[in-house]
Amino acid sequence: MLTLKATCFGAIGILLSSAALADGHLDTMSAEDLLPMAQEEGTVTVYSFTSRIGRVEAAFEEAYPGIDLQGFDISSTEQIARLRAEAQAGVTNADVIYISDTPVVLTELLETGIIGPYVPPRVADRVPAEFQSPLLAQRLSTKVLMYNEEANPDGAPISNLWELTTDEWTGRVVMVDPLQRGDYLDLMTEMVLQSDAMAAAYEDLFGSAIDLDGMANAGEKFIADLFANDVILVSSTDDVNAAVGRIGQDNPPIGFTSYSDRRDNEEEGWALQVANDVVPSPGIIFPAIVALAAEPNNPAAARLVIDFLMGDESETGGPGLAPFYVAGDYVTRTDIPPHPDAVPLDYFNAWRIQPAETATIRADVGDLVLTLQ
Amino acid sequence: MADAAMSGPGRRVYFQQGTVLKVMVLAILIALIVLPLLRTVLFTLQPETITAWSDVLTSRLSENLFYKPLTNTLIIGVFVSSFCVLIGGFLAWLVVMTNVPFRKTIGVMATLPFMIPSFAAALAWGSLFRNDRVGGQLGWLQGLGLDIPDWLAWGMVPTLIVLTLHYFSLAFTIIAASLATVNSDLVEAAQIAGAKGGKILMGIILPVTTPALVAAGSLCFAGAVSNFATPALLGLPVRMQTLSTRLFGMIEVGQVSRGYVIGILLVLISGAFLWAGNRIVSGRRSYATITGKGGRAKRFDLRGNRWPLLVVAFAILMAATVVPVIVLIASSFAPSSADLFANWTLHYWIGESSPDFAQGIPGIIHNNDIVRALLVTLALGCAVAVTGMCVGLLTSYTVARYREGVLSAAITQISFLPLLVPGIAFGAAYIAYLGAPIGPFPALYGTIALLVIAGTAYLLPFSVQTGRAVIQQVGGELEESARITGASFFQRLASITVPLAMRGLAAGGILVFVKIIRDLSLVVLLFTPTMPVLSVVAYRYASEGFAQFANAITVIILIISIAATLIANALQTKSQPWLKN
Repeated sequence: MLTLKATCFGAIGILLSSAALADGHLDTMSAEDLLPMAQEEGTVTVYSFTSRIGRVEAAFEEAYPGIDLQGFDISSTEQIARLRAEAQAGVTNADVIYISDTPVVLTELLETGIIGPYVPPRVADRVPAEFQSPLLAQRLSTKVLMYNEEANPDGAPISNLWELTTDEWTGRVVMVDPLQRGDYLDLMTEMVLQSDAMAAAYEDLFGSAIDLDGMANAGEKFIADLFANDVILVSSTDDVNAAVGRIGQDNPPIGFTSYSDRRDNEEEGWALQVANDVVPSPGIIFPAIVALAAEPNNPAAARLVIDFLMGDESETGGPGLAPFYVAGDYVTRTDIPPHPDAVPLDYFNAWRIQPAETATIRADVGDLVLTLQ
Repeated sequence: MADAAMSGPGRRVYFQQGTVLKVMVLAILIALIVLPLLRTVLFTLQPETITAWSDVLTSRLSENLFYKPLTNTLIIGVFVSSFCVLIGGFLAWLVVMTNVPFRKTIGVMATLPFMIPSFAAALAWGSLFRNDRVGGQLGWLQGLGLDIPDWLAWGMVPTLIVLTLHYFSLAFTIIAASLATVNSDLVEAAQIAGAKGGKILMGIILPVTTPALVAAGSLCFAGAVSNFATPALLGLPVRMQTLSTRLFGMIEVGQVSRGYVIGILLVLISGAFLWAGNRIVSGRRSYATITGKGGRAKRFDLRGNRWPLLVVAFAILMAATVVPVIVLIASSFAPSSADLFANWTLHYWIGESSPDFAQGIPGIIHNNDIVRALLVTLALGCAVAVTGMCVGLLTSYTVARYREGVLSAAITQISFLPLLVPGIAFGAAYIAYLGAPIGPFPALYGTIALLVIAGTAYLLPFSVQTGRAVIQQVGGELEESARITGASFFQRLASITVPLAMRGLAAGGILVFVKIIRDLSLVVLLFTPTMPVLSVVAYRYASEGFAQFANAITVIILIISIAATLIANALQTKSQPWLKN
């Protein structure tokens, strides 16, 4: 019995190592070489944090007939919970993981070996190194201060974040509860990490150095003042969008939401616009990650999907990138021109989060927010 | 156990009556409920997670993390369950025992609110009462020029009202089924003796329906304290947190161990409350009301109060049923969620895919994902209703017949547990529990079996409670006479208990079916790519800003739920005897 088991383990070990070897080989293959293997696999499953995967699915199946892409729109938090549970159960369901919430992804999924990195060799020289490691970022997304353009035709009603803590904005700043949405906690965390800039902005506005009043730094002081000024918490970004953006308001609030939601202005009757010029920064910009399952069931097709998601060689990246080539989303490929309707990335003042750094103090900032509520 | 019974030469050991049955039921419940939950508890006891306990209970965070949400949770639980029993009991009394006009209409409408997801009712509240605190769209009343104060627009008051209007129909269903079985002998005897209506109500009807009242109150309490959508939508803008919103938030931002600790404490505290309620029932000896004799009593004549009481009943039902349904339907036609009654289009229902509209998503009748999800959902609902009522019947029979002893108490408590566990935590526990192979059994992950087993376990409180209230009323004398004539346990169950308790069981089955087909929190982790369910599809659309598709799917779920109720009524002509004249 024991020998049998030992043999089994041996066999499994050999299988695993040869699979690893094969995977290593796959990492360097071009899309053309991957295609026949992927067609043999016939199917590939993608977990995506955005519904735009539906359009990717149609485009992918048109580009590569014979491979059935099964796209599932699952929020980042749910993906993390699901992938962890699946790993515990020893099941691999997804081949490709398309996800935000990077600070959690790094600690919960990458370090635990549930997912692994892959950069298609075709685009490796056209994506900045910071967006290739530890995981490949396909695009950058945002949580920034947005205002109502209709009520403020001359531009943003404020020029400094600290104005949000003054009487004029009491009860008129809207955001999603940072203890219910990871990306808003990332935003709060970044303010703490950028405490020096926050302190400088304070002095700019009020003309005197900041009095921390028991708080550890300017970032924490800002968060405390914002909550003390009756910031309004809601449960989804769409609630923020509707509150801030709705047309026909005399005195609309201001709020933190996604820049790219501006694309829905017409359909929803909103007038959202980004307050890009507030100091020290309107908010954060953070990566949307594409990664492989640690041991994908369809390794070749999975790599082909990531290759597709990074866009083709046409000017704006073709059908794979089309759903993401919108104002307010920033594609990481350097050779794709910025979207004409958005503030170009170089002029966009949002802080770029450093996921590893965010992860170190994120829980503490969460605790701070908790004590303020 | 069987071995023990045989042991000893020439000596037979008799267990106390029902012990074998109790042990069997307990084993089933442990496998279904305790083992998966135990994993959650063990998770919080690991070296790296155990600090979560002190964080929650005794740190500088505790007040906001635990004690304030706890206070809100208990206020919600106590108020909602009391009002639900009052309103549900009032309507059930009207429908079953009086000659109020339009009894059938009231009876059907009173079961509807439970089929409407509670978030829809919360959204409807917002579209009427929303004030300018958050900005954006104003509610209808504020739009008329009324100044709606914050306390009426947000926070505790609207949460209590919305949850009461959602859960009272649960109380109605249980209490009505119980009232319908009240023995006419008792009422007639009282009438002959000259007792007035009030006296009959207080002296006879209330006492014999106590199990149903307590069951209804318990279910409403547990439902209210674990409800997430309503306090999240109405409470957050004024920073009102409950344990369930805290739990969700903690899991959402990755602080899973704190979330689990809050969840465990929620279970323990609610458990203590429910245990107290349970004590009240088990203190009494017998609630038998369906005996071998007796028929229907004549209805209580309301005389001049018929129409005023009808108006009261209709006011409640309009608020709980008609308004949310109108909002739901309207929002499945309106392109802008901010302006419900403008620019209606049928696209979300019957449109072909077009790139200019909703990012190319076709109307739901052309949408294969939705059609497939519909079939899976129906199969799931039926399977869970059947398995749930089988386990529920066995469990409720056991605790009703053999009420005494530690085992019975354990069975009752365990069967209540899932109600207090947030669905998402229950789902996660189940993946870890049955996702991987156990011994000779294959991994169930990705099969409908996993959904059915988890759904059965999760909804057991409903099947057990509804079954129990009814079974407790089936007189033991009928079964006893069968046992004397030599009928076996299963014969007695099949030919006496089940037929007599059928209306209660059918009501329970419908509850379970309706609950599972619109449940989101449980299935959101358990569904797999090959096994989509409607609520998950709806949630995905809602979270991506396509509220119209989500609402259209909710309308479908609502229609299925109503159809289920009507079909069950037709098949079971006896299931709602109070509707007969």
